[in-house]
Amino acid sequence: MPVTLKNVGKKLKGFELKEVDLNIRDGEYFVLLGPSGSGKTKTIEIISGLEKPDSGLISGVEGKNIGFIYQDYMLFPHMSVFENISFGLKVRKLPADEIKNKVMSVAEIFDITPLLDKNVKNLSGGEKQRVAIARAMVISPDIYILDEPTSALDRNLKVKTQSLFRGLHKDTKKIFIHVTHDFEVALALGDRIAIIFNGEIVQAGTPDEIFSAPVSKDVADFLGYRNVIRGSIVDNMFRLNGVSIAVPEQEASLAYIAIRSDDIFLSKKEISSSARNSFFGVVAGIVHKPSSIEIILDIGFRLKVDITRKSLLEMGIKEGDKLWATFKVSSIKVFKH
Amino acid sequence: MKFKALISFLAFLLILFIIVPMFKLISGADPGIMNETISDPEVTGSIFLTLRASLWATIFALFTGIPLAWVIVRKDFPGKKILEGLIDLPVIIPHTAAGIALLSAWGRNSFFTKMTGLTLPGTEAAISIAMFFVSVPFLVNSVKNGLKLVDSRYEKTARTLGATEAQAFFRITLPMIKKSILSGSIMMWGRGISEFGAVIILAYHPKTAPVLIFERFQNFGLKYAIPVTVLMVVISLLIFIITRMFEGRK
Repeated sequence: MPVTLKNVGKKLKGFELKEVDLNIRDGEYFVLLGPSGSGKTKTIEIISGLEKPDSGLISGVEGKNIGFIYQDYMLFPHMSVFENISFGLKVRKLPADEIKNKVMSVAEIFDITPLLDKNVKNLSGGEKQRVAIARAMVISPDIYILDEPTSALDRNLKVKTQSLFRGLHKDTKKIFIHVTHDFEVALALGDRIAIIFNGEIVQAGTPDEIFSAPVSKDVADFLGYRNVIRGSIVDNMFRLNGVSIAVPEQEASLAYIAIRSDDIFLSKKEISSSARNSFFGVVAGIVHKPSSIEIILDIGFRLKVDITRKSLLEMGIKEGDKLWATFKVSSIKVFKH
Repeated sequence: MKFKALISFLAFLLILFIIVPMFKLISGADPGIMNETISDPEVTGSIFLTLRASLWATIFALFTGIPLAWVIVRKDFPGKKILEGLIDLPVIIPHTAAGIALLSAWGRNSFFTKMTGLTLPGTEAAISIAMFFVSVPFLVNSVKNGLKLVDSRYEKTARTLGATEAQAFFRITLPMIKKSILSGSIMMWGRGISEFGAVIILAYHPKTAPVLIFERFQNFGLKYAIPVTVLMVVISLLIFIITRMFEGRK
């Protein structure tokens, strides 16, 4: 059964959730993406029934089991692993042997059977995570809600956790609602994504739809468009600091343009093509990132360009080098605000 | 090194300030009168009365103070700050003033007496009421501080797992704040035992140990006040050391 929110609003101290509309389809992995303080957690607390909205309608959650997993797991510290996992079954007053069977079978899935008698304080981070998932899973949730489950993890465990949730989703075929501030996580996991800013859903769609056509410069900025630049557009040319960039057809105005750092190519010689913008600039900085290198090229303003480590070595780029930056007109997004 | 020496000296000064009167008290007790005092049923009776009355007050506070602390920490409502100030009021007003206030509320001409026909002043219940009034902030504040340290998401997690708000409170929150409850109770009990001002106004009789000490001092002088005091101090100290040990072990 799909989960829908219609005009859901809630006023809190210094913050307001404004007319949130969401349509979460059956069996979908849905990501709610937004910066901290944007209202993501409030939204899922409302969906899970922990908070009552001031206005609006929610359907598809009535009487449903919800498996809620918090970022820091919230394992009950005064209980053993077994007691933690069995909590949801005990409050449902299931018979003791049934509780034991259910706990044993999820413990087996998550490989935590030897930990069942341990105090949760003595578990490693990865073990805590598996216990938290097992505790949520043992009540056979109809909907899984994940609140930033990867944000406190190192890169390695983050990737592992993502594939764990992807696998869990594939196996259970349930609705997953995953809250995150990390667009990489959203891109990796979401069937569909909704972006929330200041208590308002600003854009929703598939990862492709959202990443290829952000609705505003703030969304573009949040989605990791490394070049969001303000200037003026006259005659389909964006002008800033004496540089003119050909942009898709536009009315004259002050505007922002956004260009993804991996949509720009660097070369030692100019690449000639009518559909392209080419600019000569000086390398002002080289930033090493986990999976790529960011070159900062000054072409009159600073342009951030992603290249692979291999290209950096092959081209032998150093600070102060002069290079050409080339990008297609169609790769430029223009925003009025 | 200089800093360490200065710190140690200042700390030592404080300890001295507490220890010296205790030492003088115990060393100043006349052994003969001391023996007499220990076997005096008025003295032992009043000490047990004091311990018991404060215990009743503390037990009653557990049933009312924990819910109050929970509401203050977990819920938002208008006038919350005023309420928090109100709870601390008994700590800052003179305890004789507290006694007068209590006497107006529970005295012979009070609404309570008119409604029920029961007279409180002069009963053990009145002693407990006076002790409760002046010492309950210690329990409420201790539980409040404990609750503030428990992330409300533990309760929320319990509720997503199917627990009612009450189940989440009793099975998750309460066990997680048991240390704060225990130390708050010990503080409250101790504070209740030591109460003099409010108790003497609301219930001169039956005489609690602080009232008895005051009375012996007034009527017979320091020599007869000291042995009762010593006995009271030693018993209190023993109880507190034992309860603190018990608390530390948990």
